Amino acid sequence: MHRHEVRALKAIVRLLTALFVGAAVGVIYGWVVQPVRYIDTAPGSLRADYRTDYVLMVAQAYAAEQDLQTAQVRLASLGPQAPSDLVTAALTYAVDHGFTRADLETLNQLAVALRSAAPAAEIQAP
Amino acid sequence: MKTFLALILAFALGLGGGLAYAWAINPVSYTDTSPASLRDDFRADYLTLIAVAYDASGDLPRARARLAQFAYADPAPILTALAQQRLGQGWPESQARALARLAADLTAGSGAPASPAPTTAVAGTPTPARTATPVPSPAPTRTPTSTPGAPFRLLTQEPVCDPDLGQPLLQVEVVDAAGQPVAGSEVRVVWDTGQDHFFTGLKPDLGIGYGDFRLTPGVVYSVQLVDSDQPVTGLTAGECVADDSTRYPGSWLLRFQQPAR
Repeated sequence: MHRHEVRALKAIVRLLTALFVGAAVGVIYGWVVQPVRYIDTAPGSLRADYRTDYVLMVAQAYAAEQDLQTAQVRLASLGPQAPSDLVTAALTYAVDHGFTRADLETLNQLAVALRSAAPAAEIQAP
Repeated sequence: MKTFLALILAFALGLGGGLAYAWAINPVSYTDTSPASLRDDFRADYLTLIAVAYDASGDLPRARARLAQFAYADPAPILTALAQQRLGQGWPESQARALARLAADLTAGSGAPASPAPTTAVAGTPTPARTATPVPSPAPTRTPTSTPGAPFRLLTQEPVCDPDLGQPLLQVEVVDAAGQPVAGSEVRVVWDTGQDHFFTGLKPDLGIGYGDFRLTPGVVYSVQLVDSDQPVTGLTAGECVADDSTRYPGSWLLRFQQPAR
């Protein structure tokens, strides 16, 4: 290999190294030092445990109010899924994570009410 | 010098690429967020839902744990303000009642303090899923509320001359048969040209059974506790005389109690 070829190769390696280091610094800065901030999120992005707790609160409120439409509106905040699917997912999570029997019954009561209700018009999230 | 510039340029390109990747192409995911990051309106809905769920279940430790996710030093005033805000915005009164009741019960201090909310240490690396601790369901301690079918009676009706109030007020205190203050009691106020209502418990620092309403001097009011069949009529801000002989409009204090059955 000629001397100037070696020199060119070294230069390329240095450039690639600098590029890599720059990219690494950028990613670390973007993910760790100054990541995208968690502000102004919607309930739909809540972690599974918080989502389940949200659904449980809706179910507890429904148990007292017996207002299925309000329960559906509240559930609509969690996303475009069918309310009964949201409650079923919450029930599954609750069973898997050892929620109390009372909680499971409360969730189940809402699930049954949603399943037995006639299909409702699409409900807008608040 | 040329090599050095090329290195700087390569580094800058890499940095730009890295930031573009981290911020635009594959940013920290918005999934797995906590309630604390909710937008203000969703947060208000969430807090209201906590209060409504508490109103239904009476489980104060769980309500505390849910509120702890927001890391408020004292959530009671926030709930109180939200109750007033929702009432003013025309939301169902039951929500304002629930918020006021939760605020009052938190202020009353029953139940153990909640453990801190689960935190996300570093963005992008959410903590393991919070295990849903099976709540042993201790006997719920609740603020006494009115019992349907037992109408409250007017216990006392006193004019109040207190210059420290700053404005003439209709002050109402509601207690149950045991003398315990009752939060969330609705009071209707009617006058010649309008009507309004307010709830006890929205100012927990003054007592969870307390509520007040600003009187306009010269206007005659009728007041009725919704859980009472006994209206109080002909109330108007009287005239009081201060120590320095200045005159100012006075207030009224009405005390209601639920009779023992």
